[in-house]
Amino acid sequence: MAKRIITNVAQTWAPTANNVAATQFIATKGGSTTQVIDWLEMLLSGMATSSIPMSIQVAYSSTLGLTPSAIALPNADGPMLVNATALANVVVAYTAAATGPTPNAAATLPRMNLGFNAFGGILRWNAAPTQQWTMVGNAVNGGETVLLADSSAGQSGSGALNAHVIYEPY
Amino acid sequence: MKKSEGELFIDHRASPGMPPAQARQLGYDPSQVGEGSLFEAATIQCQHCNRMVVRNPLRERERAFCMQCAGAYICDLCDDERRKPDYVHLPFRKVVDLVASGKATLVSMGVRPLLVPTEKKEI
Repeated sequence: MAKRIITNVAQTWAPTANNVAATQFIATKGGSTTQVIDWLEMLLSGMATSSIPMSIQVAYSSTLGLTPSAIALPNADGPMLVNATALANVVVAYTAAATGPTPNAAATLPRMNLGFNAFGGILRWNAAPTQQWTMVGNAVNGGETVLLADSSAGQSGSGALNAHVIYEPY
Repeated sequence: MKKSEGELFIDHRASPGMPPAQARQLGYDPSQVGEGSLFEAATIQCQHCNRMVVRNPLRERERAFCMQCAGAYICDLCDDERRKPDYVHLPFRKVVDLVASGKATLVSMGVRPLLVPTEKKEI
C-alpha cells in the first residue's frame, strides 16, 4: 500500500512510567480488526536547550488511547506519495488523545529501547525489508503501537524533540 | 550491514551525549554514545516475537536460529520458550496471517502469543 509519515513536532516529551498513559507520543492503531501496519522508520531530533538524556521506547499498548484527537498543525500525517489511493480502512494515527495509550510492560512482549540526548542528539532507526515493526488488528497487546519517552530507565527530565514515523498500512 | 539487518543511528556529534550511568541502564557501552560520538549498529528481528535486537558485536554467546523458520534469527527469550515441553511453533508472521485473514482474534503477541480462533477449528 502507500507509505505514510506521521510527525510530532515542537513538543516537550515527559517521561512516562510503566503502566501509565503516555502524554507525548506517536501512536498508530489498525482501522479494523484485521488491518496490518508496519513501522519502517523512526527519527527523533533533539531540540532541548540543555542536556536531557532520554529513554525512548516503542511498545504495544496494553490500554488503547482513549478518544484520539485529529492530527492538527504543527503535526501532520499523510501519504509519502501525494496521489496515493485512499485506504478502505483508515489507520488511527494520532499524537494526542483524551487519555494517551498505555505502553505494555509485560516482559514477554517486544519493546524497543532507544536512548539519546535531546540536547542536539539525533536518533534514527530503519527497518530492514521484511523486518518491520508490525502490528495487526486494533486491539491491545498487538494492535496499537506507541513511541514514547519512558522513565523506567532513569530518565527524569522532559525533553523537547521533533519526531516522525514512517509507516505502511495494508 | 547485511541486507536483512535494520540500522540504528544515534548521532551525538553535536551533543553532550548520554551520561555513563544512564547509557549502561539503556544497554549501551558509554563510550559509544558519549559526547561527540556517532553510534551506528545493525538491528535484527526475532522471527517468533517480533522483538528488535541491537546486535552487540562484542557478544560471544551463540545466537539462536529456528530451523522451522528457514534458519531465521530468534531472540534469547524465544529460544528459551521453544525448549519447553508444551511449546507450539507459532512464528510472528503466522500470527499476522491468522489475524489479518480473520481466522483468529489477537489477545496478546510476544514470546507466547495468545489467539482466539474465530472458527470452530483449532489453530
